Amino acid sequence: MNQPQRRRRVLSAVAIGAAGALALSGCAADAEGSSDGPVEITFQSWVPNIDQVVDAFNEEHDDIHVTLETITAGPDGGYAKMLSAVQAGNPADVAQIGYDSIPDFLVNDALEDITDYVGDSADDFVPWQWETGVFDDRVYAVPQASGPLGQFYRKDIFDSLGLAYPTTWDEYYEAAKVIRASDPNRYIAAFAFNQAPWMIGLAQQGGANWFDTEDDGWVVDIDGDATISVAEYWQKLIDEDLVKIEADFSSEWNADIQNGNVVTWISGSWADAILRGTAPDTAGSWAVGPVPQWNAGDNVSATWAGGSASVVLKGSKNPEAAAEFALWMNSEPASVDILTSVGAGWPAIADTSGVASLQEDPEVFAFYGGQDIWDVFAESDAAVDTSWKWPPLASTLFASLTDNVKAAVDAGTPIADAYRKTQSDVVKALEERGITVK
Amino acid sequence: MSTLVPRRARRRPRPALWALLLPFVVMFALFFIAPIIYALVQSMFATKSSGLGLGRPETVFVFFDNYARALSDATFVESLGRLLLFSAILVPLMVITALGLALLLDSGRAWGGKFFRVLYFAPYGVPGVVATLLWGFLYVPATSPVLQMLQGIGVSINPLSGDNVLFAIANIALWGFAGYNMIILISALHAIPSELYEAARVDGASAWSIIWSIKLPLVRPSLILVTVFTVIGTLQLFVEPLVLRPLTTAISSTFTPNLAAYNQAFAQGNPNLAAAMAVIVAVLGFAFSFGFLRLVNRKGNRAW
Repeated sequence: MNQPQRRRRVLSAVAIGAAGALALSGCAADAEGSSDGPVEITFQSWVPNIDQVVDAFNEEHDDIHVTLETITAGPDGGYAKMLSAVQAGNPADVAQIGYDSIPDFLVNDALEDITDYVGDSADDFVPWQWETGVFDDRVYAVPQASGPLGQFYRKDIFDSLGLAYPTTWDEYYEAAKVIRASDPNRYIAAFAFNQAPWMIGLAQQGGANWFDTEDDGWVVDIDGDATISVAEYWQKLIDEDLVKIEADFSSEWNADIQNGNVVTWISGSWADAILRGTAPDTAGSWAVGPVPQWNAGDNVSATWAGGSASVVLKGSKNPEAAAEFALWMNSEPASVDILTSVGAGWPAIADTSGVASLQEDPEVFAFYGGQDIWDVFAESDAAVDTSWKWPPLASTLFASLTDNVKAAVDAGTPIADAYRKTQSDVVKALEERGITVK
Repeated sequence: MSTLVPRRARRRPRPALWALLLPFVVMFALFFIAPIIYALVQSMFATKSSGLGLGRPETVFVFFDNYARALSDATFVESLGRLLLFSAILVPLMVITALGLALLLDSGRAWGGKFFRVLYFAPYGVPGVVATLLWGFLYVPATSPVLQMLQGIGVSINPLSGDNVLFAIANIALWGFAGYNMIILISALHAIPSELYEAARVDGASAWSIIWSIKLPLVRPSLILVTVFTVIGTLQLFVEPLVLRPLTTAISSTFTPNLAAYNQAFAQGNPNLAAAMAVIVAVLGFAFSFGFLRLVNRKGNRAW
């Protein structure tokens, strides 16, 4: 974006606004809502405290005024709300959606093409994150943040058991046995059967690539060798009672994180804010390391279902202003700084040196015994296999995967079979939708 | 003839009648009839894409395809079966519990009748989601003092395991609604004229035979009402499994037909299939309630 030019426009808007204010000072109420006022746009998001970003934008802009509408998280009904508003013809202008859901929204014709407004800003962002919003050379989304994976762990418990940090999955398995033996209630981790992004992240980190395009159709490979060997690894941990089968973010899991019954959590960078909120009494006992590797010496990472982006919903009355807000929010260093500190995730902008909260964040670092945890995530972000593509109907993939894995765990049947079932479910759903599967 | 004339006169529509009916008819049409028609229409369409699925989709008329798809989906059919099983567990439990409580409080011998009537009714005032959250805490070993205590004496129960989860849900429903159904039955019991009791006692009837020969036959319509309400309630099972789902591996996103429909509409973006599923549940509910009413109301074929 051309910064000086925009400043000038803002300044002139301020000047006009001031003149208008003088002229209308006697009837301020009438001025509101008139066509001379700022362009009103609405923004739907579920990121806690993101109102700080909206306030910052409104303070700096007189020509556009953003109203935040807090909604439930996308997969829990937020997306349904957005899509039905698009259908009804009165959507919010800007909305928060996951990278995984962008094709889902495209398949429902719910996204505005914003190439003309933000197309020139591609270089400001990490390439793979920018690409998640680009289809057929048209831009539909501005990336906000991703969730590169890291492993949060209770360093005090590892130290007291004389355990070194597990850098490979083999070491992780050995550590799991020691931890399990140390206390009848203690497990190295929770097997989060409810959490498709977690399972997908682990598969991706194991070298799986579930979706690819070939000619004009999708290649679906959910039950490939890489995925199956990851599934079999976790099967071994479950069979030997080394991991606790429990949903993450559940009340049970919260209790286990608080009292040290679950001592590690592989999650996105944003999980830091959740850990600090869930278990404030354990401050100082945690640390973060990279995800264990399948081959010693490798450095392969993955993400928690990609990340999230800002899109302009189809039917927005002010797509240009909406796109301007989306771009400002996700690229202006001051805004990205706020986003990072409220836990939106790892910034999608290429140059994070201007993001103050990633340089020094005493409150965060103190929780991790003084460790600069952002170093771990910066490395993880760079090690993500960026060729991963999301297909349409990702929501069906998520539902099918969690249902099948749940059923397998409940019935004691192989988890690998759950992935095979998911493969056939997803292929069937895509075909029923009329989408070509190779 | 003379009897017919006034009847015909009564049938002539009067403006006042329509004016008074209008608010109801308009609201009923807008918020009851129209959504049903809309759901029926929606259930016969589908959104289709092509190729990679990233272009503009089109809406096509597919007639009964969505119904065929729902009924050929093994998980949906399983959820219907699960619902029947749940009805078989909950309906008798509910009717017997509500009736037992009502007879106890109506016996006149129980101490503190009014107090207990309010106490038993109180859970009905707790919203379903809140009640399920509370029970959810009690069902999970990590947060349940009851289960922890039982574990302390060597009894290990998991109420949310695949084998127990229907009973766990039935327990929540029973806790929430038994008191409400009890009130219906108590008011029916109160409506029984006391002369009948006097006459029975004069004839030397015991308390049990009064229950069997006077109270039960006279609250029969209310018992039928309670049964039908409970059947309809179980067919719409939704809140409990939705809230308990994150706590257990035993509840999938298609655990009950309503949950499956919700999941299609709000998580998987397929409102058309969801509409078809909802219509199937509605038809089933209709068939069950009317089937039951016909069964118990057949003349000369009363069970008791």
